[in-house]
Amino acid sequence: MFRAISIIAFVITLGGIGLNCILRPCKECWRHPLKKLVQLFTLLFIEQKLSPAEVLRKLVYLIALLCFAVLAITGFYPTLVLDEHISGYLIMIHATFAPIFAICLAILAVMWSGRCRFTGSDWPWFQRLVQRVTLAKSTEQQVKNESCLGQRITFWLIIFLALPLILSIVLSMFPYFGTYWQELLLNIHRYTALVFALTAIVHTYLLVRMKVK
Amino acid sequence: MNKGSILTGFFCLLVLGLSAAGAEPKLLGDESDGSLSPPPHLIPLYAENEDGDKGEQVTPDMEFPMPFSTRWSCSDCHNYNLVKKGWHFNTMDSNIPAGRPGEPWVYYDPGLGLQIPLSYRGWTGTFRPEQIGLSEFKFTKIFGRHFPGGGPGEVDATDGDDIGRQLVSGKLEINCLACHNAHPGQDMGGQSGYAVQVSRENFRWAAAASCEFASVTGSAAQMQMMYDPFMPDPAEKNAPMVTYRKEVFNENNEVLLDIVRQVPNERCYYCHSDLYHGPEEKTEKWIQDEDIHLTAGLKCVDCHRNGVDHNIIRGYDNEADISDNPLAATSTCEGCHLPQDDQEPVAGRLGAPVPKHPGIPTIHFEKLTCTACHSGPWPGEQAVLTKTSRANRLGTPNANKAAEGLPHILSPVFASQGESGAGYKRELMATENGKIAPYKVLWPSYWGILEQENVRPIELSIVEKVIGGVFAAIELAPTGDWPQVTKEMIAEAIKALGTSVTGKAVYIGGGKLYSLDDSGQLLEQDNHPAAKPYLWPLAHNVRPAAQSLGVRYCTDCHATDAPFFFGDIKIDSPVIAEQDSFKRMIKFQDISPTYAWAFAASFVFRPWLKIIAIGSCVVMAGVLLLYALKALACIVKVLTGENQ
Repeated sequence: MFRAISIIAFVITLGGIGLNCILRPCKECWRHPLKKLVQLFTLLFIEQKLSPAEVLRKLVYLIALLCFAVLAITGFYPTLVLDEHISGYLIMIHATFAPIFAICLAILAVMWSGRCRFTGSDWPWFQRLVQRVTLAKSTEQQVKNESCLGQRITFWLIIFLALPLILSIVLSMFPYFGTYWQELLLNIHRYTALVFALTAIVHTYLLVRMKVK
Repeated sequence: MNKGSILTGFFCLLVLGLSAAGAEPKLLGDESDGSLSPPPHLIPLYAENEDGDKGEQVTPDMEFPMPFSTRWSCSDCHNYNLVKKGWHFNTMDSNIPAGRPGEPWVYYDPGLGLQIPLSYRGWTGTFRPEQIGLSEFKFTKIFGRHFPGGGPGEVDATDGDDIGRQLVSGKLEINCLACHNAHPGQDMGGQSGYAVQVSRENFRWAAAASCEFASVTGSAAQMQMMYDPFMPDPAEKNAPMVTYRKEVFNENNEVLLDIVRQVPNERCYYCHSDLYHGPEEKTEKWIQDEDIHLTAGLKCVDCHRNGVDHNIIRGYDNEADISDNPLAATSTCEGCHLPQDDQEPVAGRLGAPVPKHPGIPTIHFEKLTCTACHSGPWPGEQAVLTKTSRANRLGTPNANKAAEGLPHILSPVFASQGESGAGYKRELMATENGKIAPYKVLWPSYWGILEQENVRPIELSIVEKVIGGVFAAIELAPTGDWPQVTKEMIAEAIKALGTSVTGKAVYIGGGKLYSLDDSGQLLEQDNHPAAKPYLWPLAHNVRPAAQSLGVRYCTDCHATDAPFFFGDIKIDSPVIAEQDSFKRMIKFQDISPTYAWAFAASFVFRPWLKIIAIGSCVVMAGVLLLYALKALACIVKVLTGENQ
């Protein structure tokens, strides 16, 4: 069941991203693909002009990205490809990278939350609705955001999903939950991990797309 | 009506007729009328006659009474032929599925370097008794002490010498009393009880000797083959004779037997007791606890049930695939303890609690049997010498109480179902699922002839003659342990055997195959398939949940020195130079030792993992809460018009 749902979800998400690339193509990318590829590659580097805090932010992000890749592969490969539970060396790698990822997420939550906060301009329809209800005129200044709305939504979703994702597996390690709850916690972990992974993929895609543009 | 229809009808009738003829008729005691009250067994006793049929009734006034026959005394109400199909008696029937490997009969002789697992069931790793030259008659004489008659005990002898002996001894009928007699006087292993009578070849007299109202003297083994037991001669010294207590007979010459349907545990214990010689030497019965099920008030037969066909439930996973017993599927650990969704609820039967297993990841239930954590002795640094009733003659006058006495069985050994020894993979049987389970293990030692990859054991008569000569000077250990056998002696013995048998003589011992090369030098081959140890699962005693593995912490098993993975198993060998060899438990499991060690080592960091993960969650929850409150503040501002 989980396997089928996961495969469908991954196909839909990756298909959606592909469709988005086709429907809203980056014209520069088609004109100078090599240049864009190099630019994409340079995203992995840390610019000299960055402040120490920005360097830390990027470094943590890159580590988080690496951890995410490792966790996703070790977590989903046995389930989706081999159709078996994670075990053996894979679970050891998974459990080794998991706490690093958790730390990175916590740091990113602190460092990115400010710039990923929602503003009135993110929800013009909502603003209009509020004005109509309260008969007030908006005085909020239009804030220029570094990130698009999709990125901000996915960021907060990632932080929100991280809680059940981490807690479900950590709580199962305590001798308080019996077999029924163990199964429930494991299922919470698996399904949250699926949504989390899809969200992280979309977030990364949006981030890369914006940077490349 | 055409000819085809007539023929078809005829064949149908023939098949129906044959089926009806094959079905065993149900007698008075074979089918319950629904009353739970046990019927009294006030019955006449009948002896067997010269032709093996029902003889005359036993009466107290007989001058030379014959032993009563259970077959003819019980078969008025119970179908003996149906009972014979039961697990305890059907070992000779090749049509019966062997099922999960079980405890073998172990033939051993320290003076000949022999310790060989035998079985008529055909379990991989065991040998059929005839392979070492043991006829059914001889097998019965040696091992009949611990089986309730029937099986090989009732086979007509074919060997010339055995035929003569069997005419005197009779056959070892199914001894119904061995299990169903609740009288405390039932004597299976006493000084003149069942076991002693079997060893004296008093097969015909054994059942009578075991009951509380008869005593048997003499020995059929000491009688000439021409001796006629149906015309006993009182002048004949050592002639087997039975004496009945006259007061047990009523005016109709009937006897009241204390027969119970639910077999008392003590009857099972005679053949199914274990003794673990751990480092603390807790071998006294008063120090040990019994199985938690029995402590809770259950009987062995509450789980190991059978009907009149005596097709008793052995109680392992998937037994229902090969058993006709309708309760086989539900008479497992899971059957009583775990709720089933798809059928009438049976969990909780007999008061079985549904286990909670707090903190145990569910992967354990895929990788381990219930018994792995709950059964047998708590694992120590080494698997311990284990004695069993059948292997070590427990409960008989001949039992060797020394810990080192042969045969050497070791337990608990945690092995994957499907492994038949360290590194010796074999295909999973239908009744196995690859889970890790606790086992008993026996390292076979025997002389054989190498035939490609297989080793055929050499008959005892040749071994006794040849090896007996070579090992004549060997000093036997008073404890019954292996004597001091050197590799030079092994080489000499193989050389001597080579001249007496056709083919390449070899010796199997301690997991090795010993042979001679062309120059006569001794060769040793590790991990030869023929040298693999024989393993069979152990299921009792079941420990309570509070004493199960993992109850304290994961490190009960997941520690770098945890016996579950890293305990040692002594490689039992008569060869002195090999007597300090060990194998790690992990070698019997389908797991990489490096992985198991690394995984166990990772549990050192488990508390850190928890702290980091929870700490990170607290930070993220704090950020979420902070911005949620900020968002709430914005909404409040908007709704209250403060932002105008």
